[in-house]
This record gives sequence, C-alpha cells and structure tokens, in this order.
Amino acid sequence: MKKFLSLLLVLALSLSLVACAGGSTAPATEATEATEEAAATEAPAAEAATEGITIGTISPNTGSLAAYGTAVTTGVDLAISEINAAGGILGQQVTIINADDQMDPTETLNAFNSLVSQGVGLIIGSVASSCTSAITGAANEEGVVLLTPASTADSITTEDDYVFRACYADGFQGAIAAYYASQAGYTDVGVVYCAADTYSKGLYDSFKTAAAKYGVNVVAEESTASLDVQDYTNQFTAMVTAGVQFVYAPFYYDVIGPYIVTQARAAGYTGIIMGADGYDTTPEYVVEGADLTAFNNVYWTNHYDPADTDAKVQSFVQAYKAINNFTPSAIAALAYDSVYMLKQAIEAAGSADASAVRDALADTSAVYTGVTGTFSLDSVGTPAKGAAVLSFASDGSSVTTKLVDVVKELK
Amino acid sequence: MSTFLQTLFVGLRLGSIYALVALGYTMVYGIIRLINFAHGDFIMVGGYTMIFTTPVMIALELPIWASVVFAILVCAIVGMSTELIAYRPVRKKGTSMSALITAIAVSLFLENLAQAIPQIGPNPKVANQIFSAGGIRIVDVTLDWTTMLTIGISVVVMVVLYQFTQKTRIGRAMRCVSEDKSASILMGINVNRTIVLTFAIGSGLAAIAALMYMAQYPKVYTTMGALLGLKAFVAAVLGGIGVIPGAMLGGFVIGLVESFTTSYVSSSMADTFVFLILIIVLILKPAGILGKNMGEKV
Repeated sequence: MKKFLSLLLVLALSLSLVACAGGSTAPATEATEATEEAAATEAPAAEAATEGITIGTISPNTGSLAAYGTAVTTGVDLAISEINAAGGILGQQVTIINADDQMDPTETLNAFNSLVSQGVGLIIGSVASSCTSAITGAANEEGVVLLTPASTADSITTEDDYVFRACYADGFQGAIAAYYASQAGYTDVGVVYCAADTYSKGLYDSFKTAAAKYGVNVVAEESTASLDVQDYTNQFTAMVTAGVQFVYAPFYYDVIGPYIVTQARAAGYTGIIMGADGYDTTPEYVVEGADLTAFNNVYWTNHYDPADTDAKVQSFVQAYKAINNFTPSAIAALAYDSVYMLKQAIEAAGSADASAVRDALADTSAVYTGVTGTFSLDSVGTPAKGAAVLSFASDGSSVTTKLVDVVKELK
Repeated sequence: MSTFLQTLFVGLRLGSIYALVALGYTMVYGIIRLINFAHGDFIMVGGYTMIFTTPVMIALELPIWASVVFAILVCAIVGMSTELIAYRPVRKKGTSMSALITAIAVSLFLENLAQAIPQIGPNPKVANQIFSAGGIRIVDVTLDWTTMLTIGISVVVMVVLYQFTQKTRIGRAMRCVSEDKSASILMGINVNRTIVLTFAIGSGLAAIAALMYMAQYPKVYTTMGALLGLKAFVAAVLGGIGVIPGAMLGGFVIGLVESFTTSYVSSSMADTFVFLILIIVLILKPAGILGKNMGEKV
C-alpha cells in the first residue's frame, strides 16, 4: 500500500511538472526573447536609457477564471502598445513578460519566482485574491513591486510594503452592498458565500461588518465548501425559509451564470440577489434556451461601467474593441489602468528601479487618472474611489447589464 | 416539511448523476479489475462533443439531446483508443498497479490536451437548455423531470448491463476474462477484443452520464471530470465495486448524504460527511454495502 501511494505521488508530481511545462511554453518563449531586456533593467538606469523596461504580469490564463486572464493580457497589451507608440516610459520601450498562475496559489508563487529569476522588478498581478495573497510576502522579501489590478481582499495591501493595487478593497465593496440594502429598505437579509475562498469570504466579512453599521440584520447565513459545488438549491431554500428578500452572494461569473441564479429561482427565491465584481461577464455564461427572466433582480458592484460617457472611458472602450472585438471587462480596464499607474510612478521616480518605484507609489499625494476613475492611493496602497452599482436585465432570451447607481463614497 | 422534501430532491438529483457515473466505473472494474480513473474525463469529452454538435442539431431541427449519439461515438472511440494505446501495452509489461497509474496519467493527459485545443481552451462553456424545465410539484417543491429521467436512465442502464453480463455470449466472455484470463484464452475467448468492447461500452455510458449531468448542471470545463469522477468512484466503492446494483445504491447514498448535510448540519461540511460515511462503511463492510468479500488474487 505504501509503495502504491509513493508511486502514485511520484507520478502525480511528475505529471504536474509536465503539465506546468506544457502550460507555460508560450510565456517561456516570450521570456527568452525578453531575457536581454530583463538583464538590462538590472544595469544602472543611466546606461539602460536605450535598453528598455521590463514589466512582468501574472494572470490566470488557464483554469476556471481564464476569462480574467484574457482580460488582463489584452488590457495590458493595449496600454503597452499605446505607451510604446508614444515613445515609451522615460524614453525607453516597454516589454511585457507574462506568466500563467492557473488560478492556483502554488502556481502563482512559481510564476512569481520565474519572473524574479528573469530579473523582473515590477510585476502586475494577479487577479484572484487567493493567488495574490500567496505572493505578497515573497514580493516584500525580494523587494519586487507588486501592483495587483483586481485582488480586492482587504489583507492584500499593508503599510510599508511593496504591494499596491488599482482596485478598491472588499471592505469597501461589501460595504456598498450593505449600504445599498439599507437604502432600499431591506432590514433582514441573508448571505450565501464560499467559506473556503479568500474573495468570497472576504466580501462576506465586510458585508456583515457594514450591515451591522447600517442597521441591516443578517438573519440567514449559508456557505459552500468549495467553488466546485454545483448545487446551491438547499442554500437558497434556507433563504426562503428565513423569509429574506435580499441575499448577498459573492461568487464568480462561472457559478452565477449557469448555477446560482436559476437554482435560486427554482427553489422559490424571488428577491434580490446581490454580488460584487465577480459577476462581470456573467451574460456570456447563461444557459441558452432557459428562462432567463431569472436574472432580473440581480445586482452587483463593479469598478467601472463600459457605457459611461466619460471621454477617457469611451476612448479606452473604442480602442479595446477595435483590437479584440468585444467590450472590455472591468478587469481589462483595471489592468490597463495598472500599466499607466506604473508608468506614472516610474516617471515620478525617474527610474525603473523597484525600490524607487515603490517609494513613488507609496506617495499618497499622487493622483492617478484612469478609466476606472480619478484616485489617490491611501497609506496601505489601496485606491479610494467609487463603485458602479449595476443590474442585469432580461427579456427572457438574453441578459444585458445596466447601470443603476454610482457610489462615490459611503456615508 | 418543504425543506425536507427539497433536500431529498436535491439529494436525488446529485445521487442520480453519481449513480450514472459510478455505473461506468464499476462496469470496467468488474470486468478487467482496473479502476479507470480516466472515466471522469471521458465525461468531459462527451460534454464537449455535445457542446460542439448542438449547433448541428439545431440546424437539423433535431432535439438537442440527440447530440448524445455523437458523444457516445466519440467517447467509445476515445475509450477504445485509451485501451489500445495506453492500457494494453502497460498491462502486457507490468502489473495491475502500473495499469492503475497509467489510468491516472491518461486522466491528466486528457484534461491538459483538452485545454490545449484552441476551440475548447481554458474557459468554461455553458450548455443550452437540454430538457424542458418543470416537473411534479409537491408542497411547493418541484421534483424536476430531468432528475426523474436521470433516475430512470440509471435504472434501465443498471438492469440492461446486469442482464447483458449474465445472459449474452459477450457478457459471459467478459465475466470469464475477469475470472481467469489464461483459462479464457484456452476456452477460445478473444480476450483482447472482449476488453476493448468493455471499454467501448463503459465510455459510451460516460457520454450518457455527460448528457444527464449537463441537463442539470449546464457548465462544461476541462477539469469537470476530476471531482465528479472522484465522488462517483467513492460511490462505486461504497456500494461495492464491481457490483452493478451497488454502484447505483452508492451514488444515491452519497447524493443524499451530501444534500442532507448541507441542509441540516453545515453547508460547508458536505464533502467531509461524504468521506466520513465512506470510512465508516468500509470499516464495517470492507467490500462495500452490496459487495461480496472475495479474496483478491495477486
């Protein structure tokens, strides 16, 4: 039996190695091309003036959140091509080395180490909070600037560190939902969340804290053991039994679209389902031919609204659509903004040296104007900015998104 | 009362899927004593085949479920190729242990291969509505048609499989091969052909399981077979692996335990209880609920 187990483990190990190698072939070839530039960044900035700047990106290109990986790479690519066309940063062309984290914390650390070993000192990544939190410690130890476009868990950024972000934190995002519930007059609400996921659990915590503040009672709580669960009927039956008309369900689009909303309605729950930025791109993941009116009464908070008439938003949306043929998601917008944040910080620091850029980002008086708003970073490195409250609308055969409200700050 | 009924129905829904998948495991195990870990991934293959043939069905104005015909064909071909390319050469050279490890390798290979195909890619795909929604309403709770159909199909598959192995010539050949390969050859049974046929049937079952899975949980992704396969394997072991009715029983036990734990104990501990029950049953009855304790030949 022991022999069998060890054989099994050895095989699993070697296969996972093979799998990793297979998954990262594309970035690896890009990496070899970029090695020269990477080596150059280690040289003194003055000498490197004509050699270029290398920025690493970590994104979930494969795995269950692959749509976010595409969003990051396309958003970053657009920003980089714009910057390089306009003469680069400090007169140097910018090169990107992308690494895949497969939406797996261990793989995220591998991706991080591989970027660092190639001499990268500035990294944009990753998306899922569970993945980013696996590398924040390493970023501080190695002295590598880590700017996450979309990890919203409160614990990601702390004072005096190398970690910053382009999005607001869950403490704010969950609070908006609680604020929204109290404004809409719901005093008794329920929560369905995933206890094993950093993002879902983090939003649950912040929602609950804020709910107490706004006088909203959480009367029913249900959770799931993993994000791989397919059936949420029992959880929503409990919500119906509790008699709530507002349920906060912080999950991702791949669960909301095919499973949660339809199952909740089938279980007899007719009230509001509210979520967060993980609901972005849900309309592409709904069941064709099913009764999609289930998606009415579903609300969520997001980083930006692509229909915003602001000139900066529209020029980004048009430029992105021209290349990719689809509307940029919030993650793409945040990734795009992240590149420009780094650009601004590098220019303020006068060099692409990691510790100089870190000091520039830590300057709380710097104002960044991006697609997702105009903002400064607070003392821990998290932007103070508004959120858009969106809702889904359906005529039965398709689901569209519409803007309900923009929350600039919480009262 | 309505909570109880709802929980029961959810348990039946999950259980019916596990049962159908477990039948595929137990079928292959019962005949060649191989735990085919790639079975869960055959379901993924079937799922994607249906996703890609659905537009054809819509164009031909056929019902969407008819695409299962293609899925059965593709799965059977994949299953037979797996046997011919991977399992048979390994079995010739090594022991049943090396065959088992090859099965895990095939499982990971299929998952990664699917991801590498650009049309599949890493993004999950969502299926069309396959059967019409709705069902019987009892005390404000709906037992949907799809669940009843899945249970019905599981029972039919179980009975047909059992009769097939007991009554037909090929079925008898399969049982002979399972008991003694060299004696079967002496009796004039084409062992290799029998095993290939077993894989074709087992993989075809995976396609049917994929259809019923997608009808209830319409998301297809490359690693969907991993956890589903694991739970179905547990179901097969719980019921007594190799025993055809045991697979069904095991599937329903697991589905019901999962559902009732979610509703009445803790929704985040459903899997804990599933595996706890497995351990308890295996301590009390090592061969599974319906299993007969036979000494295994080494």
